[in-house]
Amino acid sequence: MADPNAKQTGQKSVKIVAGAVVCVESDIRGDVTIGARTVVHPKARIIAEAGPIVIGDGNLIEEQALIINSYPENMLPDAEDVEPKTMSIGINNVFEVGCVSQALKIGDNNVIESKAEVGRNVILTSGCIVGACCAVNTCEVIPENTVIYGSECLRRVQTERPQPQTLQLDFLMKILPNYHHLKKTVKASSTPARS
Amino acid sequence: MATLLQPEKVLYLVRGEKKIRVPLSQLYFCRYCSELRSLECVSHEVDSHFCPSCLENMPSAEAKLKKNRCANCFDCPCCMHTLSTRATNIPAPLPDDPTKTTMKKAYYLACGFCRWTSRDVGMADKSVASGGWQEPENPHTQRINKLIEYYQQLAQREKLERDRKKLARRRPFMPQAFSQHTIHVVEKYGLGTRLQRQRSGAPISALYGLSLKEGEDQKEITIEPAQALDEVEPLPEDYYTRPVNLPEVTTLRQRLLQPDFQPAGASQLHPRHKHLLMKRSLRCRKCEHNLSKPEFNPTSIKFKIQLVAVSYIPEVRIMSIPNLRHMKESQVLLTLTNPVENITHVSLYTCEEEDPDDINSTAKVLVPSKELVLAGKDAAAEYDELAEPQGFQDDPDVVAFRKSNKIGFFIKVIPQREEGDVTVAFKLRHDFRNLAAPIRPTEEGEATSEAIWLTHHVELSLGPLAT
Repeated sequence: MADPNAKQTGQKSVKIVAGAVVCVESDIRGDVTIGARTVVHPKARIIAEAGPIVIGDGNLIEEQALIINSYPENMLPDAEDVEPKTMSIGINNVFEVGCVSQALKIGDNNVIESKAEVGRNVILTSGCIVGACCAVNTCEVIPENTVIYGSECLRRVQTERPQPQTLQLDFLMKILPNYHHLKKTVKASSTPARS
Repeated sequence: MATLLQPEKVLYLVRGEKKIRVPLSQLYFCRYCSELRSLECVSHEVDSHFCPSCLENMPSAEAKLKKNRCANCFDCPCCMHTLSTRATNIPAPLPDDPTKTTMKKAYYLACGFCRWTSRDVGMADKSVASGGWQEPENPHTQRINKLIEYYQQLAQREKLERDRKKLARRRPFMPQAFSQHTIHVVEKYGLGTRLQRQRSGAPISALYGLSLKEGEDQKEITIEPAQALDEVEPLPEDYYTRPVNLPEVTTLRQRLLQPDFQPAGASQLHPRHKHLLMKRSLRCRKCEHNLSKPEFNPTSIKFKIQLVAVSYIPEVRIMSIPNLRHMKESQVLLTLTNPVENITHVSLYTCEEEDPDDINSTAKVLVPSKELVLAGKDAAAEYDELAEPQGFQDDPDVVAFRKSNKIGFFIKVIPQREEGDVTVAFKLRHDFRNLAAPIRPTEEGEATSEAIWLTHHVELSLGPLAT
């Protein structure tokens, strides 16, 4: 259910597709769509201020991760000529504990490690790994399979993409409901809002 | 390194071969010479080798054979982190029946920090978890080994000649068979003996331990001299025009960590075995007693012998500094801590005019003229809530507070310069009871050993003047 064109202009609530596990303690605000088999841990925050967020399947969003679609810093929230941009996140991404992601476009199989920060103008393609505590605030498209690591954010290219965390996702989808209440999902057969 | 205590502000002077000013936490105290020693005036000896990641001990002979590298652990060639072995399941055909496939475990090396894997350089997955990984062979090993053998022989020959010359100069009735001089002579391509090593700064030859054993047959080894080539391989034609593929270029550090190959491309960076670390013991150069001897076990951080200065010398620490103004007297609060268990008497003296040690001070200091008494360190005192008052009469102008084995006292500082940092120096004189000296058995009346008075030169850096 990663259809970025289903921009429901009237939707102000969270839409969770069946199969996703989203804990009640997570803080999700605004127009957010979460795909199947995605796990959102408690205390994760997904905030859609300046536009909708569409999250694909099989993502893992850990505690205290912040995915925020916010207004660019030099613009006032009241300015009317700002068109809401959709933040789209692909499949099989991992947002580790405490990371901050403001990137508008994230592809598949990326890993944003703990306490990393990804700025708004960065576009992560697929297989990218942003290492722990690395802040990437440039205005660029990160090529595929790039690893950003170290205190100086050195880069290198790896030969294969990181493996999707299927084992971890299965485990969490079994265990989390035993300890947390989950947010209600919407039936998968629901159609987008009629125009 | 910044710490809460800021020990680098209080420096003690060590009168060794060089005069060094170091915080007390980095000094050792030789209780046989009754002097402070720093790392530069002691001799360092290797105690044992161990691998920092698997903590495996290795005897020195084995370490030398393996070129000081661990047999099991590898370093990432990209970020120098320790590599870990990971396993995957791959389908592999059964040896009996090629049509059926079964899951076999394949192991590869991976770095947790930069995500480098051994598959990046084309190393195939191994079927055993450890021991399967080989370092690439250096193509020049043969030539290097031959050269080393030749020079070993040369060194041995020169040593014999030198011995013969020395013996010929000595009186004729000296026994020639056992030449005591051999021990004292520095081997040309080897490490000098301990007596030679006392010279600080003496270079240690890189070709350690190359001397042949006594009695080995000396066969003549000849080497071919290296040949100079007229023609050099030309550069590829597109060397200047080809765009640089940045992820493929190795950094200087990655390249130089493998001096055998120095690969320019990242796809040729092979992992190397991890370097061993060593535990060292320190020995006073004057009296040859051990100052620091760690335990043999790599997992233990304790010491068998630990003669560090903080457990014998009272430590001065700066507690609070007021605003310092040029030519105005201000009071600085210092603390003195007594590390030993008996009562210590400390007196402070200002440095005299023209004191050769006093080169850094930029302010005049007035220290308390009376003797300060410090109580002994009582390990059980922190648990004893009903501690009796210690009964010391303290002058409130001098002593600010007193707490078990610590006192706070004031000194008056008058900065002499208008700009720059304020540095102050004074002499600290205290009594030291030498428990290491043997107690004379005849005089049973004396319960404690005699006290000797030690004087140290202390420098404090109090920071900049208040604007």
